[in-house]
Amino acid sequence: MMERLENMLAVIFGAIFLALSVLITLEVLLRKLFGFSLQGSHELGGYALAVGATLAFTLALFGRNHIRIDIIHERLPRLFRAVLNCLSSVLMAGFAGLLGYLAWSVIGDTLDYRSVAQTSWATPLIYPQSIWYIGQAIFMLAAFGLAVKSLWLLMSGKLARLDEEYQPKSAKQELKDELDSASQRQRGPSL
Amino acid sequence: MSLDYIFIAFALMIAMMLLGLPIAVSMAAIGILGGTMAYGLPFMNSISPVVWGVQNDSLLTSIPLFVLLGEILLRAGIADGMYRSLSIWLGRLPGGLLHSNIGTCALFAATSGSSVATAATVGTVALPSLNERRYPVNQSLGSLAAGGALGILIPPSVNLIVYGSLTNTSIGQLFMAGIIPGITLTLLFMAYIGVSSLMRTRHESKEASYSWRERISASVDLIPPLVVFFIVMGSIYSGLATATESAALGVVTALIFAGLKRQLTWPTLRICFIQTARVTGMILLIITAAFILNLTISLTGVASTMSSWVTSLGLTPVMFLLALVVFYLVLGMFMDVLSMQVATIPITYPMALALGIDPIWFGIFVVLMCELGLITPPVGMNLFVVHGIRPDNGSISDVMKGAFPYVVLMLLFAGLIITVPAMVTWLPEIMR
Repeated sequence: MMERLENMLAVIFGAIFLALSVLITLEVLLRKLFGFSLQGSHELGGYALAVGATLAFTLALFGRNHIRIDIIHERLPRLFRAVLNCLSSVLMAGFAGLLGYLAWSVIGDTLDYRSVAQTSWATPLIYPQSIWYIGQAIFMLAAFGLAVKSLWLLMSGKLARLDEEYQPKSAKQELKDELDSASQRQRGPSL
Repeated sequence: MSLDYIFIAFALMIAMMLLGLPIAVSMAAIGILGGTMAYGLPFMNSISPVVWGVQNDSLLTSIPLFVLLGEILLRAGIADGMYRSLSIWLGRLPGGLLHSNIGTCALFAATSGSSVATAATVGTVALPSLNERRYPVNQSLGSLAAGGALGILIPPSVNLIVYGSLTNTSIGQLFMAGIIPGITLTLLFMAYIGVSSLMRTRHESKEASYSWRERISASVDLIPPLVVFFIVMGSIYSGLATATESAALGVVTALIFAGLKRQLTWPTLRICFIQTARVTGMILLIITAAFILNLTISLTGVASTMSSWVTSLGLTPVMFLLALVVFYLVLGMFMDVLSMQVATIPITYPMALALGIDPIWFGIFVVLMCELGLITPPVGMNLFVVHGIRPDNGSISDVMKGAFPYVVLMLLFAGLIITVPAMVTWLPEIMR
């Protein structure tokens, strides 16, 4: 299920930025060739980032890409390591929860003041911000889920599994993924 | 805020990071702790506009776009072809294929920012032919590790965007400022390879020779990265596009090249999207946390405390910079580039400004110093990566030995830009 969610989020993320690139390219070409400006790709770029970032937080969480330094960590005894891994995921959930709370209060202000963007479109900010909030909420739920699971693994003494699923992604692992991908490419017809 | 508190908070943050807690969380925690200690709970209300502000900043939109651009070129196999074409052009120089290692890394870096992906790609293509032609193992590995580190200095560079957004410095000008140092450092590396292999005459590696026809036909693979680089940098230089817009132009160009190579398939795009999202998420979460910390720093007047402290020490700018070289060299032994950047810039940047150091120049200096961290043991990302690629199970000290001369070269280079700051500031100034 996690893989399907991952795929879905990645497709949405990719589509957002591909569409944005094409739109910006059109705008730059029109501006250069015809002196005509669509206006708004700047504004849309901001919204694309806000929504894309929240999706990306979740994807990085699943891929264990949020950086942690493992120089001391990997040398500790297993119990300490397990506790630190668990603590990390709980703190991450706390941060995700904070971002969710902050996003909620941004939305509250927007509704109270009926805020609009300071641009020629004067977009009511509630539209982009509600999508942004949904993304933030998904990140929050995913982080909570992982934190609960890590606590459960710690409580029930399944330290080996906790280690395997929550340890910082090492350079070795990241490299292995890259090498697999590189050798796959080189087996292709181009070389 | 007093100096003691600042040092305690900084030490606490670094300690949390070194213990293996997530970087973003460590920064946000210190920011919130400091903010609530100074202003109580109302501080929390002032963070929410910051969170929306940073995630809605269209300047930062350039980060996912540049990452996506590099991913497309990499996954479409365009980088793989670059090594072969460069080895045909550069293989005849003294030092042979080692130049192609540096050259490919530099050229690839000019279009992307991931040093792991660069080193993995170049390494898998290069190491078999280096072994076959009996290159000394230290040197092969060292040149790959050092070449991979060039990426974050040569624009477009995500690390320069991060510096620009943290310090409110023009990203276009930072990119321009990176060009001459990037090229000079590349040439410096190549000069070292040339000289050191001339001095060691007993090593005779046989290089294949190629006709002009072969050279020209192999150069087709150099076209995509060069075109992308000129579109991105040219549009910024001419004022046609902002950094974010130039990234979008680059993405569209890369898509066209990938399409021409018939690599624009769903599996390729899928992996591009996932990788881009993961890298973006990692960077932006850290930047969000950094801005929360920055809010505390600016509200509590840390910047002015630090700048009056540094002026009270009576340091000259050069002495200050030399102290920073040592500071970053030590920190770089334990931390990765991005964490080091976001953790130190809020403190070192106001001090540099107080001493009258140019903000653009300082950006290049900081990135160069962080780059050094990639190849200094015990924690040097590129050392691990290159060590992981080698087919024989040698010791990692081979890579460290091989990379050491490049550490010295980079330190000399830092001395050079301190002595001749115009190397960095000239290009952005004529653009202004």
